[in-house]
Amino acid sequence: MIPFKYNVRNLRVRWKTTLMTVLGTALLVASSCILFGLVEGLEHSLKVSGDPLDLIVLRKGATAETTGGFESKKADELLTLNGILRDGEGPVAAKELLNIAVAERVSGTFNNLIIRGVQPASRKLRPDFKIVAGRDFETGKGECILAKPLAGMHKGGQIGGELVFGEKERYRVVGLFTAGGSSAESEIWADLKDVERNTGRDGSVSCVQIRAAGPAEFDQLRKEIEDGAQFRLAAHPESEYFATQSDASTFFKAAGTMIAVLLTFGAMFAAANTMFSAVKSRTREIGTMRALGFSRGDVLLSFLGESLLLSLLGGGIGLLATLPMSLLSIETMNGNTFASVNINFRFGWWVMAVALTMTLVMGLFGGMLPALRAVRLEVIAALREL
Amino acid sequence: MAASSIELRGVEKEYRRDEFVVPVLSDLDLTVAEGEYLALMGPSGSGKTTLLNLVAGLDVATRGQVIVHGQDLGRLSESEITRWRANNVGFIFQTYNLIPVLTASENVELPLLLTNLSRKRRRENVATALRVVGLEGREHHYPRQLSGGQEQRVAIARAIVTDPYLLVADEPTGDLDRHTADEILELLEQLNREFQKTIVMVTHDPLAARRAGRVLHLDKGRLIDDVINESPISAAS
Amino acid sequence: MKYLTYILRNARRNPVRTGLTVASIAISMFLMMILTSFFAAMQEANSASKQYNRIIVMNANGFAGQVPIARVRQVEAMDGVVAATPFSWYGGKYQNQRVLFAQFAVDADKVFDTLDEYKLAPEQLAAFKAEKSAAVIGPKLAREYNLKIGDPMPLQGDIYPVDLKLNIRGIYESPRNTDQRMVLFHYDYLDDQLRQLGSTAGGSSSQTAAGNAGIVFVKCKDAATTANLCKKIDDEYRSTDFPTRTQTEEAFGQMFSEMMGGLKDIVYWIGCAVVVSLLFVSGNAMAMAMRERTTEVAVLKAIGFNRGLVLGIVLAEAVLVAGLGGVLGTLGSKALFDIVDISPFTGGFLPFFYVPWSVALAGLGVSLFLGFASGLVPAVLAANSSVINGLRKVV
Repeated sequence: MIPFKYNVRNLRVRWKTTLMTVLGTALLVASSCILFGLVEGLEHSLKVSGDPLDLIVLRKGATAETTGGFESKKADELLTLNGILRDGEGPVAAKELLNIAVAERVSGTFNNLIIRGVQPASRKLRPDFKIVAGRDFETGKGECILAKPLAGMHKGGQIGGELVFGEKERYRVVGLFTAGGSSAESEIWADLKDVERNTGRDGSVSCVQIRAAGPAEFDQLRKEIEDGAQFRLAAHPESEYFATQSDASTFFKAAGTMIAVLLTFGAMFAAANTMFSAVKSRTREIGTMRALGFSRGDVLLSFLGESLLLSLLGGGIGLLATLPMSLLSIETMNGNTFASVNINFRFGWWVMAVALTMTLVMGLFGGMLPALRAVRLEVIAALREL
Repeated sequence: MAASSIELRGVEKEYRRDEFVVPVLSDLDLTVAEGEYLALMGPSGSGKTTLLNLVAGLDVATRGQVIVHGQDLGRLSESEITRWRANNVGFIFQTYNLIPVLTASENVELPLLLTNLSRKRRRENVATALRVVGLEGREHHYPRQLSGGQEQRVAIARAIVTDPYLLVADEPTGDLDRHTADEILELLEQLNREFQKTIVMVTHDPLAARRAGRVLHLDKGRLIDDVINESPISAAS
Repeated sequence: MKYLTYILRNARRNPVRTGLTVASIAISMFLMMILTSFFAAMQEANSASKQYNRIIVMNANGFAGQVPIARVRQVEAMDGVVAATPFSWYGGKYQNQRVLFAQFAVDADKVFDTLDEYKLAPEQLAAFKAEKSAAVIGPKLAREYNLKIGDPMPLQGDIYPVDLKLNIRGIYESPRNTDQRMVLFHYDYLDDQLRQLGSTAGGSSSQTAAGNAGIVFVKCKDAATTANLCKKIDDEYRSTDFPTRTQTEEAFGQMFSEMMGGLKDIVYWIGCAVVVSLLFVSGNAMAMAMRERTTEVAVLKAIGFNRGLVLGIVLAEAVLVAGLGGVLGTLGSKALFDIVDISPFTGGFLPFFYVPWSVALAGLGVSLFLGFASGLVPAVLAANSSVINGLRKVV
């Protein structure tokens, strides 16, 4: 085998070309990785939101919290059911009321925010609910807490500020919270009573969140809520519910895949170009190698190896460039509810898989044709080459 | 004797390699008459190609004057000397240096693109030049479809198509076999004889040098011998 | 122009390299076209709506708030209003599946006067008006689900706890940059069912549902009246329980584009990354090409080509190659999406998709700039290269 050192040296000697190729491909890899990091963040928010023992109760036929309203009376009865996990403060279950309201961004543009009226237990029903700045709101005082990614995005949207929605809804911001990257991190939380009063919807709830005491109780609760004559509501396991909310994620994944595929082709051509020129400028060396007794296979492997090394550099730098992106959060619109969602970049399997795939495709396919050309060179002709 | 064509007065040329100054030509005085055919000989590193470059306006002397056809080349700016080359000098190289992507006639046409001649006139001039070098019928061949001798003929046609005053040739036969080399040398002689072109040719080949009317020998940057060939071997003889 | 032969031959000299460069630029431009057209097409369709002089009334609090149905008649009675219709989002399911086509409860008598670029044959319009459970659907939707006039189209409620048993009585026609996948049906049909539910069950969930126009589309007499009407309507309802926010259709569409928020920035940054990357890629290709031609450049300069000319020839080649990739990518994608309608493949996420001329030409401009910028360094190097070094024989 031709020593690998030879390839490393060659890349170093042609450092300008190597650098340009590496930077060019790294940018393309980084772009794809960022997209998939966002897809990953979106998926994570849907996955992490559902505890296996959690149920989300909606009106029958409704597919989302934002549209699933039912009567508050039924909700009150739900909270008294047996089989709900209880702790020192009572049942781990909460009525929640969602309002989607227009809010003005700091930039002067508008979007729709979800204001969720919650009960104390709502916090326990979210993974890792934490107040990260300020304090939690006190009930009945017209206070609210913001998901951390929302801080400073809207007029009045910081601790001490006041968020105003339309003529009647206003909340004083007293704290910021995180919820383990779950979908709650796009929301504003306020006291259920305040939201009921402000929206004039005190007779209804959007959903009821319930945590069962155990798997047996989970099934029994589900049956009772769905079939019990007094309820006739839909009790979705939370994990299933969030799986159906993944339209946006599907779209992102499709768009991301398309973009990544196109960028991979672009990167592949760039790598191929560099390798072709490497083969061309080393024709004589290849002839010498062959004359010394290295086989065609050796030459093929050598050039493929060099191509892989080249794309590995590009892929690696591209992947590294996404590391600072872990702070990246983009705010966009949920196509179903038109409400704002925050998508946090998340470095994980998808990102690494994309970087690896792009690197391999770039290195192997981009290097294959040039390597084959090197292999096909006749020894004599190659030696004669200027 | 005709008026002087090339005059070198006290020419010196040095190159800088890092902090070292490498003298290449020193204290050179030379007068070449119009229509003269000059061969430059000498071992590698003797400065013959440098001298050729100075005369052709490719390089500038460190000290002294290079006057060609009444023009002091040292006084010309870079763009002026480029234009001067286009009008006054034809180049012939050892490795022909044709543009591989252009056909024979397109290669010959290349210097004419720098003039204001119409397309039609350019074509006529190209045809004439190719006829002079004996390459009719090969106009549309690409360099790689021609033999070495033919390639050099195209290069010579390219050198004469603008009807320059001076032809410089750097080992024009270096890559050719004896027979083909003789043909090329005959062609050069013919250009000198029939068209009164002043020719300066660098060569290693004593047989080639004997065709010239005058042979200069350089060594270590100095002129060591200047021989007039009273009876140059020529195609006619 | 007389140098064109040489420039063209140079570009073709290494067909593999040129081909790869052209291909990578074409593919990247194709991607850019898709990304930017997504917003630009929306924007263009949006601006186009200006000519129809429509304004849209919604609750000041957003889509969740309501606009009482009685206001449709009140607004219609105002000076300068031609027609008005409720446009209430039903958001139902079809075949018990969540679907991505819009279903609106409208005033059958007024909707085609209000949305006058949507055309319906007179006999279909009459049939639509005559029957309470009649529906009119868009041509793309009809094709996609293989629906014909006369077919039933049952929809299941999601937001509303009522199902609709609609019958298709018409298929409208509309310009290509409009939503051709809508279902329009009688507002009264939905509202009556909601009222019934409210009175029988006494439930509170439907108390806000019935009598809500959702949003109101208002057709104005001319462009001059729109701004005044917006203000007049909002003033009228300012101190009621349901204050309104009225804006032109263009501003309404703009609001959606604003809601896309950071997505636009991401697209923008990816676009920039791609351009910079292409700069490296094609600059590299051009540099490699010039490295192989060192002697040739020296010969050109020896026979009298000056710096400017050499610079121009190299730049022209780079611009030519990048321009070719740009033409393929931009005009290719424009032609592709003009011929192939991809909206069905997006599950309705995009009601229409095309590459606007402005985007295609901008893309072409970017690729020419790319060629210029990527050729600049190799061109300057070639222009300033030493003739003597270039001619020095390779020993």
